[in-house]
Amino acid sequence: MADGISAVQDRLIPGRSGPSGATGVRIAEIRPFALIQFAAWHDTLAQTAGEAAMAAGAKVAPGPGRTATGALGVLLRVEPLKWWLVGDAGEVLLPVAGSGAVLDLSRSRTRLHISGPQAARLLNHVLPLDLSAAAFPEGSVASTAFHHVGVTLWRDRDGFTLFLPRSFAASLFEILTASATQYGLEIA
Amino acid sequence: MSARRLDAGGRIDRTCPVSFRWDGLTYHGFNGDTLASALMANGQTVLGRSFKYHRPRGIMSAGVEESGAIVSVGAGARQEPNVKATMQELYDGLEARGQNAWPNVHFDLGAVNGLFGRFFSAGFYYKTFMGLPPFEWGRGTGLWMQYEKLIRKAAGMGAASRDADPDAYDHTHAFCDILVVGSGPAGLNAALTAAEAGRDVMLVEQDFELGGDYLNDPAAEAERAEMVAAVGRAGVRILTRTTAFGLYDCGVAGLVERVTDHLAAPDPHLPRQRFWTVRASATVLATGALERSVAFAGNDRPGVMTASAARSYLNRFGILPGQRVVIATTNDSAYGVAADLAAAGGEVTLADARDEVTSAPAGVAMRPGLAPLSTVGRRGVQGVRLATRSGNGWSQAAHEECDLLLVSGGWSPVVNLSSHRGAKPIWNGDLACFLAGPTDEPIHMAGSADGVWNREDCAASGVAAARRAMGEVVEAPAPGGWVRPIQPVYEVRLPGTKAKAFVDPQHDVIGDDVRLAHQEGFVSVEHLKRYTTLGMATDQGKMGNVIGLALMAEALGREVPAVGTTRFRPPYTPVAIGALAGRNVAGHFKPLRRTPLHDWNLRHGATMTEAGLWQRTWYFARAGETITEAYIREAATVRQTVGVCDVSSLGKIAVQGPDAAEFLNRVYTNAFAKLPIGKARYGIMLRDDGIVMDDGTTWRLGEADFLMTTTTTNAGRVMVWLEELLQTRWPYLRVHVTSVTDRWAGVSVAGPKARETIAACLELGTDISTEALPFMGVAPVTLKGGVKGLIARISFSGEQAYELYVPADQGEEMMDLLWPATEKLGGCLYGLEALGALRIEKGHVTGAELDGRMTIDDAGLGKMASSKKPYIGAALRQRPELTRADRPRLVGIFPKDRSQTFNGGALLCAKGRVSGFGEGWVTAVTHSPALGHWIGLGYIAGGHEAWAGKSVTAADPVRRGNVEVEIVSPHMFDPEGVRMHG
Repeated sequence: MADGISAVQDRLIPGRSGPSGATGVRIAEIRPFALIQFAAWHDTLAQTAGEAAMAAGAKVAPGPGRTATGALGVLLRVEPLKWWLVGDAGEVLLPVAGSGAVLDLSRSRTRLHISGPQAARLLNHVLPLDLSAAAFPEGSVASTAFHHVGVTLWRDRDGFTLFLPRSFAASLFEILTASATQYGLEIA
Repeated sequence: MSARRLDAGGRIDRTCPVSFRWDGLTYHGFNGDTLASALMANGQTVLGRSFKYHRPRGIMSAGVEESGAIVSVGAGARQEPNVKATMQELYDGLEARGQNAWPNVHFDLGAVNGLFGRFFSAGFYYKTFMGLPPFEWGRGTGLWMQYEKLIRKAAGMGAASRDADPDAYDHTHAFCDILVVGSGPAGLNAALTAAEAGRDVMLVEQDFELGGDYLNDPAAEAERAEMVAAVGRAGVRILTRTTAFGLYDCGVAGLVERVTDHLAAPDPHLPRQRFWTVRASATVLATGALERSVAFAGNDRPGVMTASAARSYLNRFGILPGQRVVIATTNDSAYGVAADLAAAGGEVTLADARDEVTSAPAGVAMRPGLAPLSTVGRRGVQGVRLATRSGNGWSQAAHEECDLLLVSGGWSPVVNLSSHRGAKPIWNGDLACFLAGPTDEPIHMAGSADGVWNREDCAASGVAAARRAMGEVVEAPAPGGWVRPIQPVYEVRLPGTKAKAFVDPQHDVIGDDVRLAHQEGFVSVEHLKRYTTLGMATDQGKMGNVIGLALMAEALGREVPAVGTTRFRPPYTPVAIGALAGRNVAGHFKPLRRTPLHDWNLRHGATMTEAGLWQRTWYFARAGETITEAYIREAATVRQTVGVCDVSSLGKIAVQGPDAAEFLNRVYTNAFAKLPIGKARYGIMLRDDGIVMDDGTTWRLGEADFLMTTTTTNAGRVMVWLEELLQTRWPYLRVHVTSVTDRWAGVSVAGPKARETIAACLELGTDISTEALPFMGVAPVTLKGGVKGLIARISFSGEQAYELYVPADQGEEMMDLLWPATEKLGGCLYGLEALGALRIEKGHVTGAELDGRMTIDDAGLGKMASSKKPYIGAALRQRPELTRADRPRLVGIFPKDRSQTFNGGALLCAKGRVSGFGEGWVTAVTHSPALGHWIGLGYIAGGHEAWAGKSVTAADPVRRGNVEVEIVSPHMFDPEGVRMHG
């Protein structure tokens, strides 16, 4: 129980649902993970970017709407002045606030990985974003809205990662999976 | 009408028979049929009864414009009224029935209305039943309220099911370069042109087959098949059974896809319908044109339909819809219909309103210069009287026997979607139709939707529209294409006669209604529409609007363009409410928020309640306890020993940066600049206008690091407010605000044994004594087992109390430590109801008191407003109106007879003067375990000092009645706060 309890624990029942045939969508929760926010001031943007990149073990911090993968985690540029560092470990030491403000947001989000041939199509049931490969290629990140709730979406090589605010996660997960069964849903 | 299915021809699959039920009897059709075509093939002519007169109605068209064959489909919870049989795809087991008729469409008692038709003119009901003389002469609507119920019952469409909708509906979003609406010759060519040029194209077709007008012409099948294959190869995304029902700002189109409405046994995982929001860079409207009728006596009789509809039934559905056919036309388009019907074995007479006829199709008898005057027959048409022009009017000239009368009064391009965007349709006198007006938006008309009549020209028009949509400057084929011009005919009647010549058959509006409206002084087409209800049925005037306009123009002695047109509004065809709701129904109507302790609370007997979007614990009833008994026990336990309450839903905002203290100092009324690290402070923030916005405590965790807490329901509002201030008012302040509400699981542990309870759960050696953690102190703590969190000594209940926060995922671990420790000391879990009782006893305010009208002084917290610094609302709270001495002030309320209770929401009035708004009101009432009787909070003018010793009545005239109360200080329990600091 060291990792605590997932917000979607009771709903995350491994198995397949939907019509027989190919599995269109796979959904898995990824936890634990560390989530650290780096926020810059207008005139320290470059400096904070450097600090964020160093914390992630990446060469440079990504520009707006993009991600960068480093040895210690993935940096997401979620706002003009803010990066999120997504770490694999359940806990990371909070870096000392350098030029900007650093904030531990771990446990505030439920992290779902959505993959499969119909993943983008499923996400478009709830997200008003153009998720075509041309408009939202691998390495893209967006702050968007799911049933009026602010969520963060990131595309990696294998699919999409959706960060849901923890308190909304169970409710939004129900909507997502109810929409997903028509494509053949596998919950890992 | 003696329709019969032909042995060959059409697009139906004769190897795939389908059985369905109509009005309780079983019939057979084929795959590829619509309900209308299958009923026609089975000899069913009367399919509905009209809205007002209950006249028998049959199939009048083959598309969305249908005004006769309007039926109910499905059974039980899935019963859907007002389905156009012409649009309902046939499937095995389909169940349909006629509507607006009793006992059935063949023999409908409501048809008696038809005998009194002369009374049922426009506005009849209002004129007759409102202020009914002599009972309500010139006044009143009392009787109307009664009559209206009967009228509603008699007039109308079908009935929806009262059961909950058992089906699921999806919402979805899509993006494309070019959206093409309509898949006829123009639409297919537009889609292909754009896709071959590399554009991402979506093609939307409301029918279940692609092809539009191609589908009605077997000779064009090869061309159609090639085009359909080509758009598929070119990567066009195709949606059939999908209606583009509306166009909106910035290239947004609303679509409804009917996913399973055509399936006998749909996969239960599929939604019934899918609501698409499409964002397109450019839109091509190849929406076609609708053939309109002519107003003449009995033009609604079963067996009268549009000429093009007959062509659809013949060529698409393999049905010869009549044996002796009269076609009455005003234009060239009916000639092809005549030729096809004659070739299929019909005896066809073609009456052309135009005098000169160039060539008659083979086997067709021509009757030039004639127009339909009236039909003969009972249930179905048996003959038609034809009229010839005489002077300015018409005179009867001939009679033809027939079992099918086809009418072509001209064509109306479907400009609805363009009109949605405010492009005003423009009348084209040569073609006798409205064409889409100019627009600055990237919307391009194509094909017959642009008044282009010939198929080759339509194809070219589609290509041109696609190229315009891609930014090229291209000349489009000019509207028109008939060899001889149309001779517009809107109504045929003999001078001085009255007849039911239907303009809008779906709403039973006749030509005389339009003239009556004119006689009664209506001039504007918008008023005409509302007075006669012309064009206000479910088809929105697809059939009748142009005729109605023309008749109004004639009555006014003007031309059609001078009368104007009404603007079309979405939806083009009706949209099910379920499709609009999507999956946001029932528990998902609003997004639902659960605290990290939600499941733990439920396992421990919580009953939940809503607080904003949150589910919060309401009370923890033990076996046999009522809510009242439960909360009184819980509140009493908190005062006696200890209680634990989930407060995770309180808003929590990280306020960070070197200017964070200065920022808070400006936002809160009291001083925050010098709040020491490790201390919390209660703060109140005002709006600009000096009214209280929210309250809460803010904790200083570091030099540039604060944690602000807000009320549960105001968290979002406060967050937005802080962002707004930072972005627009003080962008130079180095402050970031971030919501961290979801990061923490939080509890309030309150009661004389709170410290003892918590101490038992902390790592050995952790000191939370008053010395180490004084009142309003904040400190990091580690629970037994290693979970790290924050503790603050804060009290809302008035007891010795702490708020304890741990990372959300560890919330249950914290509870599994706290709960045994609490039980051991005789404590309990408590919910919002007990929390309410405790805070009312203390006179602590919440949203009920801070309701957006009250000042900080009203709430009795004026001493928290600093006079030494500026802050938001500081100036405007000094307005004279907000500083009047007689403003309502927060007070406590006791019932005079302590055994009595009173209601929240009651008005506080001076005894003997129960009137008007009174002197104040009650905001909250609870039973106080500490005081042993019911108490309340409220506001009363002047506050409790002004009412000391005076009798006050809590007046609640519609519920409890009057209760005598005393006004006391709001601090009803432990006013010195001894317990809290203990």
